Amino acid sequence: MTPGEVYDVIVIGTGAGGGMVISTLCEAGLRVCALNASRELDPTKDFREHKMSYDLPFRGFGSPLRRAQSIGYMDSEYVSADVWEHDIAYSTAPGTKWTWPRCYAVGGKTNFWGRSSARMGDIDFKAASRDGIDVDWPVSYSEIAPFYNRVEQRIGVASTRQNRPSNPDGEYLPPISFRYLDYLLEAGARKAGVPYLPDRIAQLTRSLGSHPACHYCGNCTSGCDVGAFFSSPYFLLPEARASGHLTLKTNAVAREILVNDQGLASGVAYVDRHTHQEVDVFARAVVVAASCVSTAHIMLNSRSRHWPTGIANSSGQLGRNLCDHLYGTSARGYLPQLLGKPSFPDNVSNATVAWLPRWQNLDNPRQESFLRGYSFYPGGGCDDFPGYYDDIEGFGASYKAEIKRRYPTPVNFTVQAPTQRSENNFVDIDPEKKDIFGIPQVRVHFQWDENTLKMWEHSKQTAQHILEQAGGEYQGHGEPESPGYSLHETGTCRMGNDPLHFVTNRFGQAHDVANLFVADASVLLNCTDKTTTLSVLAFALRTSEYIVEQFKQGRFTTAEVKHA
Amino acid sequence: MAGQAPSRRQLLQALACASLASGAPGFLRWSYAFAEADPKQTHRHAAPSAKPHIAHYTPRFFTAEEYRTVVQLAELILPRTPAGPAGNGARSAVPASEAGATDAGVAEFIDFMASREGALQTVFRQGLVWLDAASSPHTFFALAPAEQTSLLDRLAYKRNFRPEEHPGQEFFAIMRRYTVMGFYTSRIGLEALEYPGLRFYAESPSVPEDGSLERLGVGR
Repeated sequence: MTPGEVYDVIVIGTGAGGGMVISTLCEAGLRVCALNASRELDPTKDFREHKMSYDLPFRGFGSPLRRAQSIGYMDSEYVSADVWEHDIAYSTAPGTKWTWPRCYAVGGKTNFWGRSSARMGDIDFKAASRDGIDVDWPVSYSEIAPFYNRVEQRIGVASTRQNRPSNPDGEYLPPISFRYLDYLLEAGARKAGVPYLPDRIAQLTRSLGSHPACHYCGNCTSGCDVGAFFSSPYFLLPEARASGHLTLKTNAVAREILVNDQGLASGVAYVDRHTHQEVDVFARAVVVAASCVSTAHIMLNSRSRHWPTGIANSSGQLGRNLCDHLYGTSARGYLPQLLGKPSFPDNVSNATVAWLPRWQNLDNPRQESFLRGYSFYPGGGCDDFPGYYDDIEGFGASYKAEIKRRYPTPVNFTVQAPTQRSENNFVDIDPEKKDIFGIPQVRVHFQWDENTLKMWEHSKQTAQHILEQAGGEYQGHGEPESPGYSLHETGTCRMGNDPLHFVTNRFGQAHDVANLFVADASVLLNCTDKTTTLSVLAFALRTSEYIVEQFKQGRFTTAEVKHA
Repeated sequence: MAGQAPSRRQLLQALACASLASGAPGFLRWSYAFAEADPKQTHRHAAPSAKPHIAHYTPRFFTAEEYRTVVQLAELILPRTPAGPAGNGARSAVPASEAGATDAGVAEFIDFMASREGALQTVFRQGLVWLDAASSPHTFFALAPAEQTSLLDRLAYKRNFRPEEHPGQEFFAIMRRYTVMGFYTSRIGLEALEYPGLRFYAESPSVPEDGSLERLGVGR
């Protein structure tokens, strides 16, 4: 493309949402410019590539410097130091703790994600009609189900049909097999009246098209160098590149969306990460899919005569309604039945093999002391480190023998508890601080709400009960991780039919700006007991096809490319 | 997002971070147990790892006297079993199930980690001084094995704790943590656990139909 030319569409972000948009638009023949804030990854260099602890100088613990800089999580010695973002600063309001591991490399967090992929259902979309809190989503399950079907066919999700209306079934590859610990915990869950089922995991238990089946090395969250689970670089971007319609600009840190003299989107101004030079690119339509908080950040920074508080923010809702999942270990302990048993490959899938999907408030929305509900992911078994070593006193031969004896036995329950919309939880622009590119920083305001904390309390009791019903020894619980940890933020550009109260319409199109779209978790109205990525993909596919349709109808072809 | 269950990596990092600040001298290449990655081998689940034992290891941080005490402490914490002479350079002959700290190069791991981290240096140096003082008029190293064990008994079991020995208890806890870290991240330590990640699996491993599940009192 020559300077001054205009792309059909600029897409900011290449993760689940952006990747799906890029792929769909390129396939339809639209010329796409994709902006990505960091570099492309090279799986042979940047991923773990089957390194074991003893292959690394610091045995996976990381150098002291690396540990000091680590944002925790998967930012470890096993992956290259720059795959997780360390340079672009953000702010937190006083009293807000925000753990925010960001992967700005091409493909974003899909390179390393947890892969749990349950569909949402009308129990989620129409929750407000049931309990009177907040509003229903502008989309029903029957409308979005075909998109879930197509996404699942494309990415491959392993699970079983479970016939629970609150967890709509999809089209699944064979599930990852239950382990000894699952059968034991399942028996405990059954006694406690709680479902214990194979999770839905976007991981290939069979090969799918050109994608090979998983080989169970157990290193998924350090990157899969054969692409045996869904990630944007392996499943979405190759087709787009092959189409010849994609221009991918890496290390392009989006600063703001440019507008023409009608206030429509005309392009994007970005800062080159290396040169710090600002570059403007132009297009007939712009799609923002930079991930929930970053999308709001870019849009709030897009201030102009037309949009003094940020582009498409006439509702005042841009950046508001931030929701998240509370994660924490509700119970941990061990299963004495497995003491001294031979090792079993419990974690070679590195996946949430099982889940305990929301069972609360299904028949009666106000049955519990809290509204809506949460899910559990059980974990444990033989892992790559005996993390329970400090539960055992002593030293010597007996100590060594006890470490081995307990090796198959540890179990834990991780809770996934959604927050609901709150006036207190939002992002805005820090009035003073700028990042190293001179871009005003995003600032996060977030506190757990009372309802979510009630779920946490409930989850601790329930998890202990299930563990004890399974014959396990309860050893305690953790504390909630700080907000942001789950990476399941939603809500900053919520979709709704009323332009007075919602940033985007039911297709992810900005109410105020017809050629501006949002295609990531920021359009989702809130968190549920399910993870977000599968829904991001389904909604982004729907948004992409809506954009293609709009182009076919001749919209966006006359947008003036002129600075306001 | 990834790792709905508490991440292994996170646990490992938390271990190494616990009670220690950072501060690192320049990089030194670690010659033991750090196999060079072979770019031709892309799926090395069971690739051989540790290089041959370096018989005369020269500590990077510890003095020779400190180092021999660290070797001995590590071996007391995770001994070769059944008990036998350890650290005689015959590590390749030891089955993993019998291996002890010396066989896994634990002291070398600790020396390497300490060489890179100022806070850790203080902890170990002061801890070793405490241990020698508690062994007075001897050094810990010079104590008879039974005396060494009885001193560690006071530091390792809550029922034996003496309030005035709190610094010794704290040091022992860190020494034990680093011994466990070093041992179970070595090839032979993972083999001792029968760590399943050392093998290759063509399919999602299932519980065998051999009655083992039923004997646990549950069904499929």
